[in-house]
Amino acid sequence: MGKNIIVELKHINKRFAKVLANDDVSMVIKEGEVVALLGENGAGKSTIMKILYGLYHATEGEIFINQKKVEIRSPKEAMACGIAMIQQHFSLVEAHTVTENIILGHCKGKIDFTEKEKEIQALADQYHFDVPAGELVKNLTVGAQQKVEILKALYLNAKIIIMDEPTAVLTPQEADVLMGFVRDYVAKGNSIVFITHKMKEVLEVSDRIIVLRNGKISGTIEEGEIRTVKESELVNLMIGHDLEIIKAPSMTGTDNRKNRLEVEHVSLRSKDNIPLLDNVSFSIKEGEILGFAGVSGNGQQELCEAIYGARKLHAGKVILDGEEISQLAVKERIEKGIGYLASDRYRYGMISGMTLSENILLKASYLKNWVKNGIIKWKELNNYTENIIQEYKVKAPDHEVVIGSLSGGNQQKVVVAREVDRGEKLIIFDQPTRGLDLGAINYVHKTIMREKSKGKSILLVSTELSEIFALSDRIAILYKGKIMGIFQNGELSTEQIGLLMAGYELKEA
Amino acid sequence: MKKKEILCDFLLWILFAILLGLTISFSFLPLLSVNPFQALTVMFSETFSSTYNMGNILIKTAPLILTGLAFTFTYKANLYNIGAQGQFYSGCICASAVSLALGGKLPGPIVILLAGMAAILGGAVVGFIIGFLKAKFNANEFLISMMSTYVIQYVMQLLLRTSLQESKHEYLKTDYLDKSTWLPKIIPGTSVSLGIVISLLVAVLVWYVLYKTSLGFRIRATGLNQDAARMSGISPQHQYMLAFAISGAIAGLAGLVEINGMQHMLLTGFDTQIGSYGIGIAILANAHPLAVVPASLLFGFLQVGGTALGHSTDAPASVIDLLQGFVMLFVLMSFYFRRKAELNKLKKKRIVTEEA
Amino acid sequence: MNNITSLLARAFFMSTPLILGALGEVIAERTGMMVTAVEGIFLIGAWGGFIGAYISGNLYLGFLLAMVCGLMVALLYALTTVYMNQHQIVMGTAISILVTGFCTFFYRVIFGIQTTPLKVEVLSTIQIPILSQIPFVGKILFSQNIITYLAYLLIPIILFVMNHTALGLTLRSCGENPEAVDTAGIDILKIRFAAVAVAGCLGGIAGAYYSLCNVGMYTSEIISGRGWIAFGICFLGNWNPVGALIFGTVFGVSEAIGVYVKSLGMSTMPSELFSALPYVLVIVLTVCRKDLRAPNKLGQNYVKEN
Repeated sequence: MGKNIIVELKHINKRFAKVLANDDVSMVIKEGEVVALLGENGAGKSTIMKILYGLYHATEGEIFINQKKVEIRSPKEAMACGIAMIQQHFSLVEAHTVTENIILGHCKGKIDFTEKEKEIQALADQYHFDVPAGELVKNLTVGAQQKVEILKALYLNAKIIIMDEPTAVLTPQEADVLMGFVRDYVAKGNSIVFITHKMKEVLEVSDRIIVLRNGKISGTIEEGEIRTVKESELVNLMIGHDLEIIKAPSMTGTDNRKNRLEVEHVSLRSKDNIPLLDNVSFSIKEGEILGFAGVSGNGQQELCEAIYGARKLHAGKVILDGEEISQLAVKERIEKGIGYLASDRYRYGMISGMTLSENILLKASYLKNWVKNGIIKWKELNNYTENIIQEYKVKAPDHEVVIGSLSGGNQQKVVVAREVDRGEKLIIFDQPTRGLDLGAINYVHKTIMREKSKGKSILLVSTELSEIFALSDRIAILYKGKIMGIFQNGELSTEQIGLLMAGYELKEA
Repeated sequence: MKKKEILCDFLLWILFAILLGLTISFSFLPLLSVNPFQALTVMFSETFSSTYNMGNILIKTAPLILTGLAFTFTYKANLYNIGAQGQFYSGCICASAVSLALGGKLPGPIVILLAGMAAILGGAVVGFIIGFLKAKFNANEFLISMMSTYVIQYVMQLLLRTSLQESKHEYLKTDYLDKSTWLPKIIPGTSVSLGIVISLLVAVLVWYVLYKTSLGFRIRATGLNQDAARMSGISPQHQYMLAFAISGAIAGLAGLVEINGMQHMLLTGFDTQIGSYGIGIAILANAHPLAVVPASLLFGFLQVGGTALGHSTDAPASVIDLLQGFVMLFVLMSFYFRRKAELNKLKKKRIVTEEA
Repeated sequence: MNNITSLLARAFFMSTPLILGALGEVIAERTGMMVTAVEGIFLIGAWGGFIGAYISGNLYLGFLLAMVCGLMVALLYALTTVYMNQHQIVMGTAISILVTGFCTFFYRVIFGIQTTPLKVEVLSTIQIPILSQIPFVGKILFSQNIITYLAYLLIPIILFVMNHTALGLTLRSCGENPEAVDTAGIDILKIRFAAVAVAGCLGGIAGAYYSLCNVGMYTSEIISGRGWIAFGICFLGNWNPVGALIFGTVFGVSEAIGVYVKSLGMSTMPSELFSALPYVLVIVLTVCRKDLRAPNKLGQNYVKEN
């Protein structure tokens, strides 16, 4: 209302080779406010801000700063306008010190590193950031690395800081500290753009909300309305309709089933001997889904890989159907009937440059399904793949297309189909719906429930609590490589699980 | 239909790159007061003037196919065997040593078979060592393969000065191989030996292995995404060693084709560029094993044409090296322009469909 | 004693071009660019150096032309890899082949067919006053040619720029995290392009060292893998100018031993194996050194989305 508009984006269109990422987006950023950009993955939130930051160039549209039309062709020009952006993937040079990272590109000639270090340390202290200026970035925690990113912006006297999903990598406590900074910073008359898909933090911190869907603005919540807006309204704006609630499954009958997977006292260490998993024990019965909740990076991926055989155990045992498999290689565990949907699909789950058929074959190259005497039975494999395309409603012309050309959701369907097929006994789903649109999420959820009903055991890792609640029979909470507890679904409230995720023990009642 | 279009498009770009390379390199010929058009005519007319000369193209082509395939094979595993030259020499040494030792003592075909196995083994061992160092120590495979070439060259010189040297002890070369160990000639009126047939068979075999067998599939999968391969139970390290050993074996076999099929003796400093030509051929063929054959034919033709130029005009054969260099450069550049054109097309298509 | 002195003097003499080439490679590789055309750059340096010196009669003009030639090849390489995004190893090989043809062809164009190879007087040594009088060391270190001194002078300069200037910080960051450099508003492609260009200049001079300081003539086999050895030295030296100096010297020694053994002319000695020593060393040392840490994004082209 009374606040000055400092940035105005008018009718921005952004077209990539394959997709239209922003479609006629217009918005403003005012002085001294936190404006949230809310939307699902792929809604175009990051794109519009990367345009403002000069990383992308708008196909059409105009940008005004302080009522003056500007062309922002590079981050350098954006920074000259007082705009800084903290990206989801930090752009830090890990092998360099904090100081080196901060002054990169903003110093000239000879550098007096001791002098600069003092300057940076003073800046950090001023904002009560506990960041040692002379330390190598790779030795810092994720939370501290984020502070380095923020310091980069502060060092340049940025008036507007754009933060892309800043809390995704933080523990709840670290997130609180961040929110504290956000409030401090805008109180000084600066502005923050907060890109997120989490409604809770949006309502907590922002003055205004802009919701994006499919590259378009689907709604704006003005300052006056923010206290009264309901979460469900936001959801509706984000995805176009209400969330379909999948009912928590009933627990009957699982108790007298036998254990399929038993994990006993498993410990795992990194190369530099940092514990990644610490004495982890649990079991999963036939036809049971065990959900693992936790902030990402607390050992989930390591746990999955340990069970799958991709990492050597430091101690402990993995037992499948009564048989110890701790010493078996990945290919032997695949043979035993373990499927693993890795969270990073592009890196671990598929080969973008190969066809759908080849990706289906990927984990069966040593098996007899489509290989006879070392020769691939292409006809059968292709027919099989065609069936998958039909059955899973994959939007693909045929089995011969390269999987990289499909959309993320359709890629995931193919990969899920393969893992479901390989995992005759146990399927490990690590963040199976990350980055998918709602339709695909629903499909994956249904598939998981279907496989469970076939009697398969399922280990589900997710950072979305709602997903854990919707699908799991039991819920385990991982924190820093330790299991904080395993509970029946429904036994604990969201708040209690949140505490466990942050590393607090539950007080005995 | 769509595949055909892509292929046509690809061929068109390649053809364009070749013509451009030809134009530029030949446009330097007037500096030596040679008329480029005349040179071109001479090149073609001389080469195709007799069956003998045309046969020479096939003779040159045969080992080129193999070194081209050698580079292609490791390329599929995302490895760079730029030292196929060394594996080739290793094959040459083994083939000639076996042929010299057993020639005349055992029936010819058996000696050839043994020499072939020795050549394959000689190349494979060198290749395997490189692959092993890559797999176990994560050593830089292209640096090591390059270095190994020079080491083997010196070893070859040493052998040619000592145990393998001709009876007269005059030059750094071996005696002539016993005639019974020569690869049989297959086209009357030419010197074309069985070598070309072997090479063609290997090309088909490599294609079959890469695209029809699980072994080839695993190598390709590792090349495209080694993390995903590892997560699929495929050990990238094993694939590295395997791919390099096979690649070395193919290059080694080229040694047999060259020694028993053409040179009939081993001497220093021959075919010094055959390894790098192999890389050029693989580039030209876009690393497709079957496309390596026509690409090698082109290089073979250029070699023969170059010799003809040297004989009949004042143009040096080195103009052919220049030509080959330019062709490679332009082919690589064409990949960039083709991609750019593709992207532009895609963008335009979007706009059109959206406006419609 | 005298033998050892001359052997070591020879070793430092032979190590100079390797150090120069490796220094150029260090600069480029710290930005993430492997200059795999290094063999071609050396060759054209040797070629250009000889031609310049022969025609002008001035060795320094020869070196200047060598530098320009090396620069040209490096620019071609940088254009195709940095801006046209072609694979660094493949491109380097292709360019090296092109250069081989180019040098042979134009040598012929310029000089015609020669029955005896053309020669130039090799670059003379400069005795540094007083220092060269020191026994043993003086003969080894302080009676070298100017290029050798230049190479040693370059090391502290590069070290300083690398570690104590803004430019050095940018260079180092380019090879570690190009995105970070990009978001800091620096044109990373320009930096990489320039770094390769510098490597080209140094490589050109290094190549000319063989034709103008070592043998005084040009043949197409004059480089025979020395470019690749310089490339290997950059690896072994852990992408560090001091490391380049150390390993450059090691290879100088091994090369000098090879030359020495060959000069003995004993037919019973497997002198070829001594000649192969530098190449064997590269293989053995790359395998043995466990502490090597390459720039994070070495060899990976940076492609901007958009």
